[in-house]
Amino acid sequence: MVVLIVSVAVLVVLLPPIGQALVGHPVSILPYGPNYYPSPCPTRIVTTGNYSYPTCTLPPSTEHLLGTDNLGRDMLSRVMAALPLDLAIGFVVTAFAALLGGSLGLVAGYWNQPRTIKGAISVAILRLTDIFLAFPSLVLALAIAATLGRGTLPTVLAILLTWWPYYVRLVRGEVLVVKHQPYVTAAKAAGLSDLRILIRHVIRNILEPVTVYYTLDVGTVLVTFSTISFIGIGVPLDVPEWGNMVEYYQTQNLMGIAPWTILAAGGAIFVTVLAFSLLGDGLRDVLDPRSRRALAQAAVPTTVAAPAALGEA
Amino acid sequence: MQCGGGPPEGNSVTEPVLQVEGLSVDYEVGAGTFHAVQDVSFELHPGRVLGIVGETGCGKSTLAHAIPRLLQEPPARIRRGIVRFRGIDLLKLPRWQLPRVRGTGISMVFQEPINSLNPAYRIYDQVAEAIRIRRLRESGQAPGLVSPQEPFDYSKPKMPNVGEVLLKPLVPSKGPASRRPMLSKDAQDLRATVLEYLKLVRINDPDTILNLYPHELSGGMRQRVMIAIALSGRPSLLIADEPTSALDITIQAQVLTLMKELMTEIRTSILFISHDLGVIAEMADDVGVMYAGHLVELGPVDQVYRDPRHPYTKGLLRSAPSKYKSEGPLPSLPGSVPNLSRLPRGCPFHPRCVLAHADCTQDPGPKLTKAVEAAGPEHLAACYYSKEVPGIP
Repeated sequence: MVVLIVSVAVLVVLLPPIGQALVGHPVSILPYGPNYYPSPCPTRIVTTGNYSYPTCTLPPSTEHLLGTDNLGRDMLSRVMAALPLDLAIGFVVTAFAALLGGSLGLVAGYWNQPRTIKGAISVAILRLTDIFLAFPSLVLALAIAATLGRGTLPTVLAILLTWWPYYVRLVRGEVLVVKHQPYVTAAKAAGLSDLRILIRHVIRNILEPVTVYYTLDVGTVLVTFSTISFIGIGVPLDVPEWGNMVEYYQTQNLMGIAPWTILAAGGAIFVTVLAFSLLGDGLRDVLDPRSRRALAQAAVPTTVAAPAALGEA
Repeated sequence: MQCGGGPPEGNSVTEPVLQVEGLSVDYEVGAGTFHAVQDVSFELHPGRVLGIVGETGCGKSTLAHAIPRLLQEPPARIRRGIVRFRGIDLLKLPRWQLPRVRGTGISMVFQEPINSLNPAYRIYDQVAEAIRIRRLRESGQAPGLVSPQEPFDYSKPKMPNVGEVLLKPLVPSKGPASRRPMLSKDAQDLRATVLEYLKLVRINDPDTILNLYPHELSGGMRQRVMIAIALSGRPSLLIADEPTSALDITIQAQVLTLMKELMTEIRTSILFISHDLGVIAEMADDVGVMYAGHLVELGPVDQVYRDPRHPYTKGLLRSAPSKYKSEGPLPSLPGSVPNLSRLPRGCPFHPRCVLAHADCTQDPGPKLTKAVEAAGPEHLAACYYSKEVPGIP
């Protein structure tokens, strides 16, 4: 069961990048580049109400598996071309947020002795975190992105600046739990220095929840990134990105005549986020012994009952 | 204040491994200040085993944790006192120096073998870690305050002062010649040493145990591993904080037998904390009885048990089940332990004491002094009327 979830999740996550690697390759499985449009493009006539007009949007066919957009561009190629950027942003931005927030959380949780310099630093970190957490993350990210101007890097910065406080909170909480465990006291009694205990004993024992949270978070960051692009203050339109694709096709009023354009980009976001969500759940089941035991117990009755039920049938 | 009478050979010039003088520890929590340890003084001589006995909440564990300064501060606060370990006052050491004393100087065996091993590492890594620390200190590559090589050489005439120790570690650096690859880099050798220590604590099949995670071991096995880790630093003082309380009775007997055997093999001074009078009788040379944070009686085990000189000790011994007197209910001490944040004035035991007089309620309470008519000069009791204690029915 667990193995199935994880393997499906890993496949869903790993297969698209492999496909994408092929898109950019000279010997591509896809016949078109992301921004290739034929001129003049093959058209079809669309009738809405009393008006009839030609459009380049072709419905999905064997030649264009996800159809074409209003400029005759192949949607499959565009969706695939956006994948590296979206995945990279998901992984890298979350990773930076986790590293930055995680390090601050380690410091804040591990050296939280009141009335010392370290304790004061810890309090300062936490209050700064509170300031950032006081704003809804999406609103803050939008505000920063709008201030920095349109572009990929400003958008990345905007998300990074809003994302780290969550990791401060998460890591600090976990550190506070671990540092009062008897084995940390035992390590102290064995003569380990504070720093060594932090690196060897504390970090090792908070890795599991942080890994699970990170994996789940990649999807969330991706949605946020796409949202910023969708609103039109994120990635420029010539960069293929799922969020701005949805925005662009929607402003071109393609929902009525060519829904596949919007659905392809939106579906890509949906599938990717779902994949990370499943991966996170699967990782949690694997890494957390308690939930694994619960799963095993839940699985036992079904496996026992199944042959009996079959026999009766 | 002399207790324990020195090492078994009777060499009176030996310096104690550990001198605790007037140690007081408070817990400052929302409900008030709890005086967990009050004005406790004792000495521990090389090769001796000092048992500390007392009921739950009397401050035994706080005392055990306060010596290597493993208490969470705050809420704990060491109010005053001197903890002199091999001439170094641990309470005056800056916090960052403390790891240099622990492990190779003072090591500890804890109450909870279940959680005292890191669940994320194999047994090998955890034992090897302690050995690696000792080797780094022995080779002079990492500073240690206490030389682990000669744990029983107390012939040094003068005590090193703290400032001197801070600037120059006691373990001399052997210079660049010794900076050749460390012994610990030799994985084979490290493994052999780990195996040696696991065999020392009588673990059958140590080759298999090495590669297991803590959750795959039983409580007794985990406690053996903990003892192996504590001993692998070759400490001059081992603090055992109720090492068998969390184990069931048969495993408890095994672990105690093991510790008893180890005591004769490794002449480490041991501070043995327990609530079990029988265990202390079995393990310790000297015994200190604690009540409500105070050390009320201190002396050689046989003397204290045969001829207790504090009414509390007397009551404690009387209420222990015996295989000779099986009739009737067990006698018990009237009343209950006082709240540590509102101790009675004077002697903390006076509200429950049959010998209590008016002077027992006056501050300051009785100090630990030589018990009147006690069998030996090392037998101390904190009671004005210790002469009358044998008369209590």
